[in-house]
Amino acid sequence: MTPTHFSFTSAFILGLMGLAFHRTHLLSTLLCLEGMMLSLFIALSLWSLQLNVIPFSTTPMILLAFSACEASTGLALLVATARTHGTDHLQSLNLLQC
Amino acid sequence: RFLAWMGLEISTMAIIPLMTQQHHPRAEEAATKYFLTQATAAAMILFASLTNAWLTGEWNISQISHPLSVTLTILALALKIGLAPMHFWLPEVLQGLNLTTGLILSTWQKLAPFALIYQIAPNTNQTLLITLGIMSALIGGWGGLNQTQLRKILAYSSIAHLGWMIIILHFLPNLTLLNLTLYILMTSTMFLSFKLSMATKVNSLATTWSKTPPLAALTMLSLLSLGGLPPLTGFMPKWLILQELTKQNLPITATIMAMTALLSLFFYLR
Repeated sequence: MTPTHFSFTSAFILGLMGLAFHRTHLLSTLLCLEGMMLSLFIALSLWSLQLNVIPFSTTPMILLAFSACEASTGLALLVATARTHGTDHLQSLNLLQC
Repeated sequence: RFLAWMGLEISTMAIIPLMTQQHHPRAEEAATKYFLTQATAAAMILFASLTNAWLTGEWNISQISHPLSVTLTILALALKIGLAPMHFWLPEVLQGLNLTTGLILSTWQKLAPFALIYQIAPNTNQTLLITLGIMSALIGGWGGLNQTQLRKILAYSSIAHLGWMIIILHFLPNLTLLNLTLYILMTSTMFLSFKLSMATKVNSLATTWSKTPPLAALTMLSLLSLGGLPPLTGFMPKWLILQELTKQNLPITATIMAMTALLSLFFYLR
């Protein structure tokens, strides 16, 4: 595994761990999601540089646009949660337990 | 392929406003949990494709050949549709929604990941699929035993059905599609009949006998069909799947699946 591959793999895995084990704030989950998208963006750009195929080079930009949409959706949900629950602490997200 | 990821993201984002239409705190909490899980799964799918691209040079999603990438893709897709062991979001999310949105969530949202699953079917790891399937059927049966809320019962039943669908994927993908179609039909029947009788708990189902007897009879019939009793339609995919499993010399698997079907049948009959 080349160093480049290793670096963005580890970046993605770190973001995934942060997403899975978030403790108090919902915002850190969104940040980790953004970090994962960023590592994917870097990986995709480097790979399309290696390929030297012209039609494929626009995919990193499209990925960036979609991750921005994703982040805005997450933020809108965060605002809605803050409006109804009062805070974004994870302990308050327990209305749906059986 | 990249378009697959975009399609999954678009479907996730489109469902989110539908879920928060109610302005109830439970609905927004369900929407948040759903969004987080789906976004994680979509990012993992993209990461698996990228890893495969770096290691073997193949970007096409139907020709993923590296075993790590295939495993990761299957895990991400299982998270998306709610297979065990990544099923923990499904009962809570379904509980927080009203019935129509829950219907869309259980049926339409399963179509897109299943299209991807069907495409990567020939390369999959057999042991992983069988483990996922058995675990889903078991957890779907066990978890639904103590539920009184109707939507959670339907959530656990969908987990069990998805377990059945995944088990047969490696051998005969067409059976998976058949099972998916029948499952969609039966689940839509259940949701719509619950919506007509406006019932959200098992206790309120008991009053439908006095209001509209045909509707109560229909609900019972479709419940039994979901459970898979002959001669109703729900028995057909289970029978075919069991037949295929025994053809491939896996009798233990077949026995376990049959017993878990008994578990889910028990809580249907209440």
